[in-house]
Amino acid sequence: MKLANRLRKYRFEHNEITQQDLANEVGVTRLTIHSIETGKFNPSTLLVLKIARFFKAKVEDIFYLTNKERKKK
Amino acid sequence: MKKLENLLKYTTVFLGFVSSVFFVINYFILSRLRPKMIRFEVVSQAEENLMNIVGVGLLLFLAFCLLSLLWIVRYLKRARKVNLFSVVLIIAGVLSLLFVFSDVALLNDIGKQYKHGLAQPEWLILYPIMAFQFMTGLILTFSHLFGLKEKDKVKHVAKDSNIFLIVQYVGVVCGLMGLSLSSLGFLFPRAWSLNIHTTISSTVLLMPYALAVSYWLFTKLQEKDRQWYDEKQMQDVGKSAFLTLLLTVFFMILLFVLNYNNLGGVISITWLPLYLFSALFLFSLGNLYFN
Repeated sequence: MKLANRLRKYRFEHNEITQQDLANEVGVTRLTIHSIETGKFNPSTLLVLKIARFFKAKVEDIFYLTNKERKKK
Repeated sequence: MKKLENLLKYTTVFLGFVSSVFFVINYFILSRLRPKMIRFEVVSQAEENLMNIVGVGLLLFLAFCLLSLLWIVRYLKRARKVNLFSVVLIIAGVLSLLFVFSDVALLNDIGKQYKHGLAQPEWLILYPIMAFQFMTGLILTFSHLFGLKEKDKVKHVAKDSNIFLIVQYVGVVCGLMGLSLSSLGFLFPRAWSLNIHTTISSTVLLMPYALAVSYWLFTKLQEKDRQWYDEKQMQDVGKSAFLTLLLTVFFMILLFVLNYNNLGGVISITWLPLYLFSALFLFSLGNLYFN
């Protein structure tokens, strides 16, 4: 099981907000947002909630669990 | 603020050009002195005084390197990302800065060896180092004028990541240089007045890292919602620290075993710089890798 996200899609739908602007809004570095988007880093609950609040969306709409092997098939 | 930035930029560019001119003058001065010193001919007082000009040139270049690095770091603070060109500039700048101290040490050694009638192989190292510094000086100067563009900057950065990365790059360079220099003691155990050389060179080599960390601390103190690391950086720093602990313990045990029959020799002085620089190198490299 792996944590995946639709962060890039949400950014695109919100006036194509940049990684830097999103990072400024939720109080992390640009590289942290980049790492979350690319699946290199699993964010904390606090950060996940901040991101969801910023996009006015439910956490599970942005973040979801995925089975990597199943996806490959 | 804009005026201050412009003042800093044009002072740096001016110093860059002046120190480049000084490098050319220094080349002619040293080319005049070198054949005489190699053949142990008498160097007149007037010729000896020319070394003051070399000293002034090196001082100006030191000031240029410091200002230049400060300017690049200030620029990168709000740059979209730290690209390869910026990293190369930072590494070349730090190396050139450190080489100013080796220029002084080499010139001192050459002078002493000339007075004692000894050969001066240091000339062979001095020229390539000065050529490298001259080239770096020119590249840095032209980068300040044309390379670092305002359009590549972002408006606002709430939490810094670029300065953090630069500190790691500087750490890797200083760590590697420190490890190499400290290891030289094993190759030339008799040629070194080890205590003095090790202490001075370690202090000098730690200086750029200390300056970079100070600037990072300064930017952190300016942040409104101060947090030393964000959660990703905290995770990376934790992993790097663990890796550094493991590898330095292994490295120190290896040093102990290899020097077991001569623990009172070179290792009795170099163990501390070797430990410090290996920790610095591994920690910084780890942070860059996990990033």
